[in-house]
Amino acid sequence: MKKKSEWMKRVFVDNYHASMSSPKPYRRLRRTLFLVMTTTFLVPLIMVTWLSYYEYRSFLLANLRWNAESAKRTVETFLAELQTVLIFTADGQTFEDLTDQNNLKKLYHRLKSNYPGVVDLGIIDHTGIQRGYAGPFDLLGKDYSDRECFKAVSVNKTFIGRVEMGYRQVPHFCIAVSSLDPDTGQSWVFRTNIDVTTLDKYIEKTASGGLSDVFLVTSKGEPLLQSSSRHFGPPLSPYPYELPHDRHGITITEETEGTDDIVLKAVSYIDGTPWALVLIKQGYVYGKDWSFFKVRLFYIVLTSTILALLVILRITKLFVERIREADEKRESMLAEIEHTSKLASIGRLAAGVAHEINNPLAIISAKTGLVMDLLELSEDFQYKEKIESEIRGTADAVERCKVITHRLLGFARRMDVTLEPININNLMREVLSFLDKEALYRGINFDLNLGNSLPVIESDRGQLQQIFLNLVNNAIDAIDKDGRITISTRKRDQNSIQIDVIDNGKGIPPDIISHIFEPFFTTKDHGEKKGTGLGLFITYGLIKKLGGLISVQSIVGVGTTFTVILPIKIKSRRRGQNVESKSPGS
Amino acid sequence: MSKVKVLVVDDEKEFANTLAERLNIRGFDTSAVYCTEDALALIHAKKIPDVVLLDLKMPRMDGMETLAEIKKYDPTIQVILLTGHGAGVPLTGIDRGKHGAFDCMMKPADINELTMKIKHAMAKRQASQNRGVDG
Repeated sequence: MKKKSEWMKRVFVDNYHASMSSPKPYRRLRRTLFLVMTTTFLVPLIMVTWLSYYEYRSFLLANLRWNAESAKRTVETFLAELQTVLIFTADGQTFEDLTDQNNLKKLYHRLKSNYPGVVDLGIIDHTGIQRGYAGPFDLLGKDYSDRECFKAVSVNKTFIGRVEMGYRQVPHFCIAVSSLDPDTGQSWVFRTNIDVTTLDKYIEKTASGGLSDVFLVTSKGEPLLQSSSRHFGPPLSPYPYELPHDRHGITITEETEGTDDIVLKAVSYIDGTPWALVLIKQGYVYGKDWSFFKVRLFYIVLTSTILALLVILRITKLFVERIREADEKRESMLAEIEHTSKLASIGRLAAGVAHEINNPLAIISAKTGLVMDLLELSEDFQYKEKIESEIRGTADAVERCKVITHRLLGFARRMDVTLEPININNLMREVLSFLDKEALYRGINFDLNLGNSLPVIESDRGQLQQIFLNLVNNAIDAIDKDGRITISTRKRDQNSIQIDVIDNGKGIPPDIISHIFEPFFTTKDHGEKKGTGLGLFITYGLIKKLGGLISVQSIVGVGTTFTVILPIKIKSRRRGQNVESKSPGS
Repeated sequence: MSKVKVLVVDDEKEFANTLAERLNIRGFDTSAVYCTEDALALIHAKKIPDVVLLDLKMPRMDGMETLAEIKKYDPTIQVILLTGHGAGVPLTGIDRGKHGAFDCMMKPADINELTMKIKHAMAKRQASQNRGVDG
């Protein structure tokens, strides 16, 4: 228990004192709250932003990969189709049929009408001599035995060659298939040259999806362009980058060109050809998408961060304000409790002292009384008068002490609260009737400002009389001569009524107003009218006992208002206390 | 007419003796004892007072118990309680009637007031004796 209470003290009382001593803890609390809330908000935001950033990036990469696959399939399909046409033609006709120039020309024209990119057709016998030719040049009888297309097709049956300029200085490439003459048992080659512009057109078709460039390069040796590139120029221009070593699948690399230009490059080797397909996403297209995305993301993050910070600032401020208000309320409640308990302990102490003094006082009183009795009975003697006067002085002093001890004991005595229905307006009139003469004598007017529909309250008549007699008496003393005392009553809320005793007397200075409910505190002049300093102390105690509150407001030179708030019904807890207080003591 | 017999019971010897002396000067037949046991012994020994001035707080047996004992012995004996203590003293009419005390006064009591109360108490005792019942 002790530990718990110490802990609670540390948390509440120490913090309370700390918080009251300076506004720093509130600033710290505000800062902490702000940081915690900001972090709580910003961490998910940053994570979502980061995820969006990388998701978008991987989306771009996937898109490029898809483009590369699609372009590669297009090129492969185009080449496969041409190869198939050659193979079917070779298989469908004999070497003799095809070396017949008329026959070959017909075939050439048929083929060219379907495939405008076909430049020429040629039939090469097993020695490498072109035996049949149809096309724009005079190539009949040309020796191809040293050419790559003849050598390679003899081994692989099909061949697709690199792009060359040839005799026409027009870039083209060769497709060749070999076939076997069943009569002679010797192989021959059926070849065609295809204009690169045809390939360009096909590749062009695949350059969708925001690609900036698609082209073919040679897959072996120094890379040379095999189709037209927007960036690197016409076929056979050098391609300035190295190709990836991995010849399978699609390799995507990211490179920076210049200062900010990020280039995404996809490279895919095309099987059965000397080519690799290169796709480039670069510069304005890739950059525009990307920077648009980045700018949009930036503005979304910036706007939501600013909004969140504003909301967090506002919430934090409100929250800390509420805490501060609650603290202040608690502070005033603690001060009130402290004040009440201080008065209660002073009251108990005073009553204890009064009791201890009362017995010796009773002896002094009895002794002086006896001496006076004896003096009265005795004959005159020297100093008799003097002794009588001295003894009377002693008796007066004892009487004064008696007034004090009796009032203190009266206060401490836990008298029963006898509850009865009370019309507070009637009670106020009764109280004032006790003081009519005094007021008249001093030229003081009573103003009654009594509420009309006041509820009948449940309280103790005798104690209420004492409370208001004390307050009005004080008001009379504060005015001294010629003034006005206003008594006003009103219903305060559903549970309480309020009585104000307002005088236009001299007022109470601010430095002593906090002490007026303490015992033995008096401002009344020492003399005939001197006070015991117990009136307001007892009034305070009685009002508390009846479940009420008393407060005071005063302006020096203007007057003083005592406000008493009484419950319409005294709470049962309080009644319980009173029942308990009936148990007799000594 | 014989003097009114008053018994002062108070553990403060000085107070008891002085009060007895003052009452004697005022024509009462007053004696003083300093504990409740002595007071009850006197009563049991048929030295019955008319009025008892009884201090509430005394060692061993307090005033309220003594009051009950006295009333048990003779309900017509009138008891005036004297107290130096404020707390818990049954001063109200209801309590006074319940416990059977004639009155209760706080110390230091005014001698004239006390004298008056003794006389009233005596009158009540006589009335009770005449009726043969306690009032």
